[in-house]
Amino acid sequence: LRDFLLVYNRMTELCFRHCVCNLNYRLLTGREESCLDSCAARLVRANHRLMGTYVGLVPALLQRRAAEHGALAGPSGPPASPEPAPGSA
Amino acid sequence: MDPLRAQQLAAELEVEMMADMYNRMTQACHRKCVPPFYKESELSKGECVCLDRCVAKYLEVHERMGKKLTELSLQDEELLKRMQQGSGSA
Repeated sequence: LRDFLLVYNRMTELCFRHCVCNLNYRLLTGREESCLDSCAARLVRANHRLMGTYVGLVPALLQRRAAEHGALAGPSGPPASPEPAPGSA
Repeated sequence: MDPLRAQQLAAELEVEMMADMYNRMTQACHRKCVPPFYKESELSKGECVCLDRCVAKYLEVHERMGKKLTELSLQDEELLKRMQQGSGSA
């Protein structure tokens, strides 16, 4: 819910900045209203597409990272055991 | 979750979001109405009127965005339901 509300606020700011240029009137003009409607729809669709692409790409990325991490840890072997203390024998 | 606790959290979230909206509105209207010439400390009448209108418009835009978002998310839900029904019946 928090993320949704943050997106809502960001959308409001973005669309206001882009669509509302004429501050000679207190009310929104017809042109501004249609710009705002298009802006909202575009941002929502862009967000959906972004999410879909991200969800598609992330598993492969994580797999690749895990494989790289495994490759780095593998050849070096487990860390060497510490030398026995000098007075222990 | 305890309903009272949920209500309290919702109220806190609303206050936080209103504060965030206020900050964004301040930034946007300052950018639109107050040019970066700091020769005089007083705001001109035009700048004051611009700020008043800017706030009114921003709040209207905020309301309109909310309605539009609700409308679009309802449309998406309906589409998802239809798709699920379609795949279920197949």
